[in-house]
Amino acid sequence: MRRWLGPLLGILLLGGVGIGLYFSAHEQQLLTQQVTVRGVIGSEKEDFFRDPRVIEALRARRLIVNVEKAGSRQIATLPNLTSYDFAFPAGLPAAEKIGRQRRALASYTPFFTPMVIASWQLIAKVLVANNLARQAEGHYFLDMKKLIELMNAGKRWRDLANNPDYAVGKNILISSTDARKSNSAAMYLALFSFVANGDEVVQDESQICKIYPAFRDVFLRQGFTEYSSEAPFEDYLVMGVGKSPLVMIYESQFLQQAAHNGLRPEMVLLYPEPTVYTKHVLVAFTEAGKQLGEALESDPALRRLAVEYGFRTTDVAYFREFTGKYKAAVADALVNVAEPPSYDIIEAMIGSIEAALDRSRPDPFGHCGHPKP
Amino acid sequence: MLVIETMAGVKGGNMAAVRKTGFGGWALALCLLLVLSAGCNREPETTLKVLAGSELQDMEPVLRDMEAATGVRLQMDYAGSLDGAERLAGGEKADLAWFSHGKYLSLLAGSRVAAQEKIMLSPVVLGVRESQARIWGWTDNSNLTWRDIAAKVTSGELRYAMTDPTSSNTGLTALIGLAAAFSGSGETLKPETIDSAALKSFFAGQALTAGSSGWLAERYLSEQDRLNGMINYESVLLGLNAGGQLREKLVLVYPKEGIVTADYPLMLLNPAQREAYRKVVDYLRTPDTQRKIMDLTLRRPAIAAVKPDARFSDRLLVELPFPNSLEVIDRLLFAYLDEQRRPGHALFVLDTSGSMSGERIQQLKTALVNLAGADRSLSGRFARFRSRERITFIPFSSDVQPAQNFQVGDTAAEGNDMRAIRQAALTLQPRGGTAIFSALQRAYEIAGEAQRNDLSRYYSIVLMTDGESNEGLSEAEFMSTYRKLPEAVRQVRVFPVLFGEGDVKVMKRLAEATGGRVFDGRSGSLSQVFKVIRGYQ
Repeated sequence: MRRWLGPLLGILLLGGVGIGLYFSAHEQQLLTQQVTVRGVIGSEKEDFFRDPRVIEALRARRLIVNVEKAGSRQIATLPNLTSYDFAFPAGLPAAEKIGRQRRALASYTPFFTPMVIASWQLIAKVLVANNLARQAEGHYFLDMKKLIELMNAGKRWRDLANNPDYAVGKNILISSTDARKSNSAAMYLALFSFVANGDEVVQDESQICKIYPAFRDVFLRQGFTEYSSEAPFEDYLVMGVGKSPLVMIYESQFLQQAAHNGLRPEMVLLYPEPTVYTKHVLVAFTEAGKQLGEALESDPALRRLAVEYGFRTTDVAYFREFTGKYKAAVADALVNVAEPPSYDIIEAMIGSIEAALDRSRPDPFGHCGHPKP
Repeated sequence: MLVIETMAGVKGGNMAAVRKTGFGGWALALCLLLVLSAGCNREPETTLKVLAGSELQDMEPVLRDMEAATGVRLQMDYAGSLDGAERLAGGEKADLAWFSHGKYLSLLAGSRVAAQEKIMLSPVVLGVRESQARIWGWTDNSNLTWRDIAAKVTSGELRYAMTDPTSSNTGLTALIGLAAAFSGSGETLKPETIDSAALKSFFAGQALTAGSSGWLAERYLSEQDRLNGMINYESVLLGLNAGGQLREKLVLVYPKEGIVTADYPLMLLNPAQREAYRKVVDYLRTPDTQRKIMDLTLRRPAIAAVKPDARFSDRLLVELPFPNSLEVIDRLLFAYLDEQRRPGHALFVLDTSGSMSGERIQQLKTALVNLAGADRSLSGRFARFRSRERITFIPFSSDVQPAQNFQVGDTAAEGNDMRAIRQAALTLQPRGGTAIFSALQRAYEIAGEAQRNDLSRYYSIVLMTDGESNEGLSEAEFMSTYRKLPEAVRQVRVFPVLFGEGDVKVMKRLAEATGGRVFDGRSGSLSQVFKVIRGYQ
């Protein structure tokens, strides 16, 4: 038996190599007819672009997409921004920042997701009992104005009435990421500033002064915050209510977890009222980038796949089907949605957080309350 | 490629058979192909250099399995956490960093961290001897607070072990947790919310300090009749309970204000190794590996898919916020050293025999001068002599020279106190023989005398010698006197430093008899060793 084993394996091996070579030559031929698109994306979309079904659907439209990931708020500062066909950050302000660095041919918003608060049944109960939230079908709506008042007043969980299960000394605060680094924290800032400014988008420095330093302190008072939106959500999933009673996340994160059966019955979603959408904006720099943007916006298969990663698209029916399938109790239609402030306003507000954490920088709003010299 | 690698597995085992068949040429060509495809041997495909916390040594079995499964080897270089953070901030090359938490490094040199993922969790908590916990009503008491614990310190009943926060992560984590709890504030610490008085009275109960959490746990085992509590990782405390060496188990206390959890993030520093890093993280975070880690190390899983098993308390663990500024952490650390901890009395028994001439005495002088303010690095500033501390130099050669005492008030490098110590260190003169045990006996006399006047201090003796004792008392004579000392004096530990031709066996016996620890100054710098010893003083 052994006498023929060696040569046979050899022949098999060479045969395998031959077939491989044939196929890759064949692929090479296909490739020449296709467009390779290179882009930089926010890390939250990496799994989507690596999904074999997505790669196939794009290939069917003759697109081969190579992505590199970066923090959405860091994309605009990449030294090699000019080498990409597109950028695909999370958040309108990040897209605006990119557009200022490099002229865009077009921009697309193929998917979006609302900012939500991941919380717990026992916390939601307390919030309802204190008139801070109201229950809907399987989820809750959170009165942001009242919550912000409590946060600004330095209230703690134990200060709330009818609170048998979570009478702890922690201050009432929403956990977020680091606003200097991460889009989800910037979105929280957008939301906070809108509500604190009397349900109006902050538009100038006098309005910033009105809500300063409250918008800064809800970040500083949290202590150490992490850079990526995955970290606080993972703490929520793993460490539970002792670490994370309220966490600002993308709705898509919660839905992705639901689709992987990773949620427990005591985990609930609170929809802040108002909320703010994180739009995933594809900024196309080249014709190839435009082709990708158009495909993501219009291709039904790609839209459905995006839904499976928890994003909302124009395909509302499939979003309903998907959330129904996983019994994810999401709010179907959100009416009370705020717009984020302009890029300059968001950056200015974040600058005050930066300055407070790095004492060598002057406080950009130190003059608030006094006229600017 | 995958096909080829699978065949390589079959092929490798049949190589001898192939040769015999006369198809040598084929076989050679094949093996060449196979070697190129990395399937012929078991060498790791990638080796990553990791700067890691020393408690991660217990992960080695997991890392070996990982290497077999992924082809990635982690070459671990163990360091203290602050020390490691300082080295990385100073530009030291490493592919990964892995400490019990990444927050200090992120604050110090965040731009070096390209990615991070948590691998496992362990809160820092207090373990209390079971009978004691029962008397105090601390078993299963969900209303217990850090303030209740502090009250048992004030009454003198609780004597606990805790590591030094500037040398060990458990100490740092505990200090941050305690400061947050005592601040009475439910949000992150600010300089003005640090309750220094409460911290000071709590640390009065710290009956044992150490530079490493592993050594602390070992000493607890030897001194469990004297100590009745220990602040450490939950994993270390559970390990002691499972280890069978405790006369009484430890009841783990999770105070109501909250605790701080170590989350062991694996941090990518070298972006060029992103792919290998991904493999490592993916392997370590699979449910199977997470269960293995939980069984092996008693740390909690870091993924939601694996639940902590019945060994872990399922009570609500309120997580206290970690400071977001280095300024606050540094202020906490210096306040601990200079204001809150039990002031130390550090006795240095220093060999100035003839054999110390030249390079050796220079090294010793440098080491002492560094502790007296000359080392301006971060770790140097944490290791320097502390405010309120008493320092005694006992130089010896053929006989014991007069002791020099220093009381540190002002810790400024340019201040008079530090200058006086530096002056004394620089005037050490080597000559004559080596009367180790006479000098050591003098140290105990001085410590005993000082202790009679001031029991609140933390006494320790460093013995630095480069040779064997050849004059004065013999080891046996010293030991018989030592055994007759009052108990409190006997508890003063000797930390011998191996140097030159010092007798390793004698030094080990001394450390063992007095509850100390031997440090090796023969390779590497004496300054570094003295810095490490500071964690034990």
